[in-house]
Amino acid sequence: MEKKNTVNFDNSAGTHPKPESVRQAVAYAMRELGGNPGRGGHQLSMAAAERIYAVRKSAAEFFGAEIENAAFTPNCTYALNMAIKGLMQFGGHIIISGWEHNSASRPVYALTRNNGVKCSVCEIYPDDVQRTIEGIRRLIRRDTLCVCCMAASNVTGRIMPYREIGELCRQRGIAFVCDCAQAAGVLPVSIKDGISFICTSGQKGLYGPTGTGLLISSGEFALSTIIEGGTGATSGELTQTPHMPEKLESGTLNTAGLIGLGAGIDFVKKHGIGNIRRHEQSLCKMFEDGLKKLGAEVYDIGCDRVPIVAFNLKGRTSEETASALNKGGFALRGGMHCAALAHESLGTGRRGAVRFSPSAFNSAGQVSKLLRYIGNSLTDFTPDQ
Amino acid sequence: MEKTIITMSSITYAMKAKEYLNSMGYRCDVERTRKNIGSGCGYSIIIRVHPDLVTPLLDRAGIPYKGIYRL
Repeated sequence: MEKKNTVNFDNSAGTHPKPESVRQAVAYAMRELGGNPGRGGHQLSMAAAERIYAVRKSAAEFFGAEIENAAFTPNCTYALNMAIKGLMQFGGHIIISGWEHNSASRPVYALTRNNGVKCSVCEIYPDDVQRTIEGIRRLIRRDTLCVCCMAASNVTGRIMPYREIGELCRQRGIAFVCDCAQAAGVLPVSIKDGISFICTSGQKGLYGPTGTGLLISSGEFALSTIIEGGTGATSGELTQTPHMPEKLESGTLNTAGLIGLGAGIDFVKKHGIGNIRRHEQSLCKMFEDGLKKLGAEVYDIGCDRVPIVAFNLKGRTSEETASALNKGGFALRGGMHCAALAHESLGTGRRGAVRFSPSAFNSAGQVSKLLRYIGNSLTDFTPDQ
Repeated sequence: MEKTIITMSSITYAMKAKEYLNSMGYRCDVERTRKNIGSGCGYSIIIRVHPDLVTPLLDRAGIPYKGIYRL
């Protein structure tokens, strides 16, 4: 009963509820699309393959890519691992931002330990794009193969200068791997922004089911594979098929999840990225204003952000606050958000932060209730009436 | 009428070729590559026109194919 009444403000981890169209699409796939797509010539397999192709086409269009350059992955972490290790597994130099999620920083760290890769960490200056770009430019070496920077922080929502980084990488012939997990669905990220590899999850701003992700390529850089296996093509040969996207899709696809992802992308297209972001930003503004009145510490104020508010309440750890909010029926995430580098950059390495992230389905009334709960139960402050 | 079978490197390219050729007015289908013409698993498009009519279109669209067979 308590779970049923919980309001989800942790949509950066996964949007919930999902659109009705997504729920119906998943149910349809479970009921009707039981064939293994790309693994046979019979009607069941071909029917599933045709629907998967339609989702691939929709995803490719959404990110400005060619259909064959849209590969499905189980999540964003897999996509990032495939891109980073696919580029760097034979050595070289990589530049990553000091805000990366563990899904990027850990594979890079593993490559430095095991594959002789050299890594530099670049600063992101919130109010000075030029300084940020100059800093990256100075870090580029003769053996630099890749820059890896997220489009928006999963901790504070800070939008990174990904277009400018893309332009720099394009000028220097370096691959740009961009973690778009928090940006997809609220920012119009595109391969045309100079991004070589867009990595994203399906279950966040794209409103798809968990267990879905995308690795979208510009087609300019070939990736070595880190997983090989059955692809439904050239099965008589021991070498992995060289053709995208199957090259990166060994093993059976998550048909039901991907059909749901397709419906989620359609939902975002129908409502519009701009409209969804405006709605969520208005809720963030309301929440942020309310928090300030309650004396909370809010991070990255003034930065251009995707709809996320990171904060802490006085005298409480982030985990304590999140736990207390959960008891009140509000799902927010405390702690480190799998982003140790970002918390270090933010100065919240010890305490972490509480993250508020609304979706298209949250309302101003829900935000008011949350603020009232915080004011009445979690602060010594007397809120303005 | 003669059939042309064009073997493709993947099911994605087969679907893309089908969609493209259909949009150009050439009706075609995707099927599993027949055992006597392919090596291992794979997919082909099957079309009822001479290959000289459609392969230039695939070349121009940048859709790779592996082989051409006439039945």
